[in-house]
Amino acid sequence: MTAEIFDRGYRQYGGERSGVPGAVKTLVKYSIRRSLGLGRSARFKIIPVAIILFSFVPAIVFVGLAALLPDEIGDNFLPSYAEYYGFITTTLYLFAAFIAPDLLCTDRRTGMLGVYLASPLDRRSYLGAKAISVAIMLGIVTIGPPLFLMIALVLEGSGPEGVDGFFKVGGQIILGGLVLAIVYTAVSFAVSAATDRVGTAIAATLGLLVGSSVLANVVVNTTDVTNNVLMLDLLQLPTELAFRIHGEIGNEEWLSISTTNLWLACIGIAIASALWVWSRYGPLLVRR
Amino acid sequence: MDSLVTAAAVAKSYGSFMALSDVTFTIEPGITGLLGANGTGKTTLLGMMLGLHQISGGELKVLGVDPYTEGHLIRARMGYAPEHHTLPGDIRAADFVHHVAELHGLPPREAKTRASDALWLVGLGEERFRPMGTMSTGQRQRVKLAQAIAHDPAVVLLDEPTDGLDPEQRDEMLRLIRTVATSFGISVILSSHLLDEVERVCDAAVIIGEGRTLAAGSLDALRGSGADVVLELDSASEAQVVAGHLTQKGLNHQLDGRKIVVRGDDETAFDIARDVCVAAGVSIHRLSRRRLSLEDVFLERAS
Repeated sequence: MTAEIFDRGYRQYGGERSGVPGAVKTLVKYSIRRSLGLGRSARFKIIPVAIILFSFVPAIVFVGLAALLPDEIGDNFLPSYAEYYGFITTTLYLFAAFIAPDLLCTDRRTGMLGVYLASPLDRRSYLGAKAISVAIMLGIVTIGPPLFLMIALVLEGSGPEGVDGFFKVGGQIILGGLVLAIVYTAVSFAVSAATDRVGTAIAATLGLLVGSSVLANVVVNTTDVTNNVLMLDLLQLPTELAFRIHGEIGNEEWLSISTTNLWLACIGIAIASALWVWSRYGPLLVRR
Repeated sequence: MDSLVTAAAVAKSYGSFMALSDVTFTIEPGITGLLGANGTGKTTLLGMMLGLHQISGGELKVLGVDPYTEGHLIRARMGYAPEHHTLPGDIRAADFVHHVAELHGLPPREAKTRASDALWLVGLGEERFRPMGTMSTGQRQRVKLAQAIAHDPAVVLLDEPTDGLDPEQRDEMLRLIRTVATSFGISVILSSHLLDEVERVCDAAVIIGEGRTLAAGSLDALRGSGADVVLELDSASEAQVVAGHLTQKGLNHQLDGRKIVVRGDDETAFDIARDVCVAAGVSIHRLSRRRLSLEDVFLERAS
């Protein structure tokens, strides 16, 4: 004989509550799911899946070629870790431009921000969770494919040697990827904090990246200013630093700029973005 | 049981603008209406109760602690249903409620089960996997109520929960709110500008106006707070005769058709009104303490 409960009624919850760390973890998980289009209709999955696919495809091809045709491809066929950034920069710009606006602008526009601020999260932990989510998503593109490439280089015989070598190259890949992810997170966050409209934020992020590059290069090439002005080029700046982390020079025009200056510029962008975003969110009243 | 919220001379200013100047009240467990016209500081007060804004003066305690310094603890035990209807349209109701329950500290599996239960309880069991963008205003209001109660809060703040609902949906929502308080044991603070709604569903009310407390207390106390007596006679002519006698006795009163509101301490007014009617030889249709509506209280205190 079986019984079925039709009305469970309302049950009290007497268990532990995970507090602020749990809320941050939940928001990070939810934001990443949202960015990947999980739990949403198919059209929301197209862009993230396509971008991740495009960033991984070259690495997967290189691994395949190195595994299947090791003799035919030769010793110098595979790109270096730094050179691989050339394959992913465009997808990275697009990813940066699409993710942060969807996560930040949508919350303000739909009033979800009010719901979040009525949970254990406050403005600081909310923004921190969102920044972590965007950085993780960008990190998938900036760190994942070069790690794949490492497999191809190992198969080709030109990969890192010994445990020390793996740790060194692995560290460079992670650090370089983090620099790219953090700088682009900072740029797209700053833009997304300025408008509630997702479309406007996407266009403005792309415009800022491309516009800064054009402006910096025009100024340096048409005037006598120092090459340090090139650091205003938001497209190239983090990539150049990522090259230096791998011990390479990305662009000859940037040779005269010291690595210290590149670090300072990238850190400056992250701090300036954080201050700007806080200036937008700090005085924000709870929206009803 | 301890008070849910106590405010003593709470003030809040933004630069030179004084949003709240002297707000004093106590909210006890049950359903309390937070009343006031738009722009009177209700939102600011809600923000301070949630610990999102620091008070500029006075003292505010929510669940016994300072909401600004212990905000995360307060918010973990509070549910909040915002007024706006523009929740993310592409998210399914069950996912949304699950997410909010997890945000309030519930383990994922528990949050998922309770999200489903909460949606059944508000009457959206069959609709729980629909994206919120495809739902009607009434359904979205229920989703907001479900996400506010799913994590078993001690108190829920409902901001204009009947906004945009037709009369039938409004009755149903008020019934649900009553159920939340009486059957689920969750106290409710209902922010509204609709006096009759608060009157129908609440046990107590706090009326805010011009940045200060106009009135606060149980509905019975507020509605009986007029110390006057209502004397109702069989006809307007008899009422005029009695009014003349009252004037002679020096009693302040107001004549309205066959009804007279006798001002003054109710015990004395009762006796005098009765004696005057006996002296005038008219029969009393009704003699009772004056019961104010919330609207009367609001208008009286505001003026």
